[in-house]
Amino acid sequence: MSQAATQNQGAMATDAGLDVELRKVFKEFNREMAVQGIDLSIRRGEFFSILGPSGCGKTTTLRLIAGFELPSAGEVLIQNQSMNQVPPYRRPVNTVFQSYALFSHMTVWDNIAFGLRLKKQGKAAVQERVQEALKLVKMETFAHRYPAQLSGGQQQRVALARALVNRPTVLLLDEPLGALDLKLRKEMQMELSILHREVGLTFVMVTHDQEEAMSLSDRIAVMNHGKIEQIGSPKQIYDRPQTPFVADFIGDTNLFRGKVEGFHPAKLWVVTEHGLKMTAQPLESGKSAPVSGQVVLSIRPEKIRLSYRPSEGQVNCFEGRLKNVMYLGTHIHCVIELLSGDCVTIMQPNTVAKLPNADTPLYASWATEDCLALTV
Amino acid sequence: MAPPALNSSHAQSALRSSGATRRNLLITAAFAALGYGLSKIRWRLGGNPNSHPSTPKTLEIYTWSSYVDQKLLDDFKAQTGITEVVVGILGSNEEMLAAIKAGKGGTYSILYPSDYAVTQLVQANKLQPLDHSRLIGLENILPKFRHSVHDPGNRYSIPVSWGTTGLIYNSEKLTPPPRDWSYLWQYPKLLSRRFTLLDDMREVMGATLKSMGYSYNSQNPEEIKQAYEKLVELKPHIASFTTDAWKDQLLAGDLYLAMSYSADAVTLMQEDSRLRYLIPESGTSLWSDTIVIPQPCPNETGAYAWLNFILQPSVAADMTQRLFFATPNQAAYDQLPAPLRNNQSLFPPDALLTKSEGIAPLNEAMTEIYDRYWTKLTSS
Amino acid sequence: MSTQVPSSLVTQPDAHSDKESPRWLGPLVLLGPSGLWLGLLLVIPTLLIFELSLVPGIRPGDIVNPSGLDNYGLIFQPVYFRVIGRSLFFAFGTTFFALLLGFPVAYWIALIAPKQWRNLLLLSFVLPLWTSSLLRSYAWITILRPTGVLNSFLQLIGIPPLDLLNRSPAVLIGMSYSMLPYIVLVLYASLEKLDRRLLEAAADLGANPLQVFWKVTIPQSLPGIVAGALLVFITSLGDFVDPELLGGASSMTLARLIYNQFIGATQNWGFGSALSMILIFLVSLAIALLIKYGDRSQVV
Repeated sequence: MSQAATQNQGAMATDAGLDVELRKVFKEFNREMAVQGIDLSIRRGEFFSILGPSGCGKTTTLRLIAGFELPSAGEVLIQNQSMNQVPPYRRPVNTVFQSYALFSHMTVWDNIAFGLRLKKQGKAAVQERVQEALKLVKMETFAHRYPAQLSGGQQQRVALARALVNRPTVLLLDEPLGALDLKLRKEMQMELSILHREVGLTFVMVTHDQEEAMSLSDRIAVMNHGKIEQIGSPKQIYDRPQTPFVADFIGDTNLFRGKVEGFHPAKLWVVTEHGLKMTAQPLESGKSAPVSGQVVLSIRPEKIRLSYRPSEGQVNCFEGRLKNVMYLGTHIHCVIELLSGDCVTIMQPNTVAKLPNADTPLYASWATEDCLALTV
Repeated sequence: MAPPALNSSHAQSALRSSGATRRNLLITAAFAALGYGLSKIRWRLGGNPNSHPSTPKTLEIYTWSSYVDQKLLDDFKAQTGITEVVVGILGSNEEMLAAIKAGKGGTYSILYPSDYAVTQLVQANKLQPLDHSRLIGLENILPKFRHSVHDPGNRYSIPVSWGTTGLIYNSEKLTPPPRDWSYLWQYPKLLSRRFTLLDDMREVMGATLKSMGYSYNSQNPEEIKQAYEKLVELKPHIASFTTDAWKDQLLAGDLYLAMSYSADAVTLMQEDSRLRYLIPESGTSLWSDTIVIPQPCPNETGAYAWLNFILQPSVAADMTQRLFFATPNQAAYDQLPAPLRNNQSLFPPDALLTKSEGIAPLNEAMTEIYDRYWTKLTSS
Repeated sequence: MSTQVPSSLVTQPDAHSDKESPRWLGPLVLLGPSGLWLGLLLVIPTLLIFELSLVPGIRPGDIVNPSGLDNYGLIFQPVYFRVIGRSLFFAFGTTFFALLLGFPVAYWIALIAPKQWRNLLLLSFVLPLWTSSLLRSYAWITILRPTGVLNSFLQLIGIPPLDLLNRSPAVLIGMSYSMLPYIVLVLYASLEKLDRRLLEAAADLGANPLQVFWKVTIPQSLPGIVAGALLVFITSLGDFVDPELLGGASSMTLARLIYNQFIGATQNWGFGSALSMILIFLVSLAIALLIKYGDRSQVV
């Protein structure tokens, strides 16, 4: 999987057609680098997300594509055309803004018709396409309201319709659901996903919500400190994080800092800071692992098994005591303090009838392939 | 709109112009009316001046900007021991009349009305008769000013200055030079928008009447109408009606001619030798400005001190030399240097004045007629 | 026992008055002072002016005895219609030029100029307000007169001189200049609140800068524009310093005419009051428009 994914990035570039490309793009604000040398290729028809914590440069990246910012260095291409000299109003992209930026002095109808009228479409064509867009977002009955008279979710739909009605090559979404409450957000995620399939456009979405990115996207770029940490499908990002940041940022994980003691093409032997000896899966099999190099081991909580006795022949098996339990409804999170002093979080289905007390010896174990060695 | 200075009638003497003062009077007049309206159902427009006591060390005078300067005030203070002289600047006689009649003048102990305004103030019962036993040097005033039509025998007023109304012009620009009022109508091309008339109904109407051979004070409605029509004809060529604003423009050469009071003209001629002052052949108005004591008067002793100070020949002569106006005080005149005594613009010989007349007060019906034509003229 | 009885007696009237007093006391305390102020200094004087306007030809010292609408009848003469028309012309013209000159300035300060300079720039624009309006008018005389600063400059670059002083253009120039700081302040307040994302949204939808300006910036700042325009309109309708000093012989405006009736050469307070009522009516009309527009901007 991981091999296919990484190769795709290069190979697909030429055949499937790219809608958006960023080549070594830098952006500096007041001597601070917001974006530091980003390379990005977004395929036609893809739902692509840029995910990262606030201040990571993801919104700047989107604004570079939209044209509201010009790169300090590097090049932005849309459908193989360099966009560096093209102002926002001539780019074949439309944006759904964070908190929508609807024109408060226009009705819903006029908001949606805004782009079409600028393009000197005939009256009948405007009429037809606005109607169509209203239908697409299920807002037909609100056509003559003003934005202030709509709820957040309704404004969101109008913003979507206003952008989509122009049939852009690429639709840019800047934290589109960020202002909505949880339930509405879930609903809109579903609708956004359906919409993407219906219109078949390239969507580029910026979000800090990993769940939103995971559930909607074909591929995700995880950004941190103005750089891309990893690009891949939600599964690759989750199962095969390539950096400790990605592993930590996406979902929950247990991280151990350690030193490589020895290696085998498919295995690494690592000793952690507190002296635990673990067998781990190298990041990319085939590549020579960094001997005596520093690595970070990542083990997902749901991959750890808990038992009352040490399992036979299991490599990564450590004794500990139950320290804390958190109920999460369908699951429980157990924190186990190992004899070394390290704590691991373990996720268990909420089926355990009775939990052991704090003095019962417990054994946490995980498979080699679930213990990922990430280079620092 | 400019922020109104609340009490600009107390503005110091340095303030030359009067716009701010006028506006505030409007406001304060409305206040006075308000006070009255609250106390009576049927009320009188204007009313008793609300005189509040002022210390004998303070004297407030309401005068024209050209009649006081710092030196005069300093000399007065040094002589009399009055420590503070507050000077309110007069924009026009009408402004003062409106203020005094509306009960606004309560703080003033000295006013400087022109001759015809004295009559009106007397009629409105706003002046104190002068106690001649308290005056020193009244006998120095020339006889013709002691027996004026406005105040025979100086019962209420003492003349401080006299002069004529005429035309000041730039002799380099105007050839042939003007000799009479009719010049304005004779050279429309040369003069168009290059001259100003006084912003004074009686002077402008009177001069026009005079140019047609009528009296400066005509009471004949038909004559007044003719004068109005003659002025309508001239109107497109008049740059402005102004009493003051012509001075800089005349010096700069933007204006060629201005209707002006002799006192202003003589002052300006000191600055520019090209300027000449003309007393029109067909006659003009002879005016005098006077000093009076209003009724009531917050500081009567101070007021008499002021009158006696101004009556001193040396003070009057000094003022004439410094501020360039004609003194009616014979003793002061005798002290003047010869060039000033012989200045015919300042002290025109009687021969030049035979056709001139003083501006006579009008009854209400005549005032109404003048008002109507003047308003129509300036509004069109 | 003896302690309980008074306490219950005390609490009851307390609760009673707690309910009662806010009903009228609150509004009275809040509105009373300004109401008194407005009543004494605006409503009553206006009524007195109205009463005066019903006395034909009243002069200071006369008995106020309202007797009819004669003063209003006087206004129905072509010459006064011309005066009212001229006042409206100056007011509209000033509003137009002040907007035309003020908007780009306010726009630049609010949206383009570096943030840290904004207050300083605004201050520098408001600075002329610290000088007397009379002084500013005299300055314009110096600039506009036939051999003044402007014409000297024009002569220098070979352009024939302009005869502006003592004509309408000088009045419009002087009044627009006087009004500029006000309109810049009002427009700045409005533009500064402008949501820049709306400008980006418009550009994103294909609007070039000019289209963004007309279709988004202007409509979005419309309440500010209307408020600023009315402020200028009303103020310039009442201005008489500039028309008097810069306008020459044929620049009589309503405000000047009123002034002349009260303390000028022609002292007819009745007629002046009638003219004042007309001016108050015109200004009220403008304010009514402001309220109407204000309401609409609230819906949007």
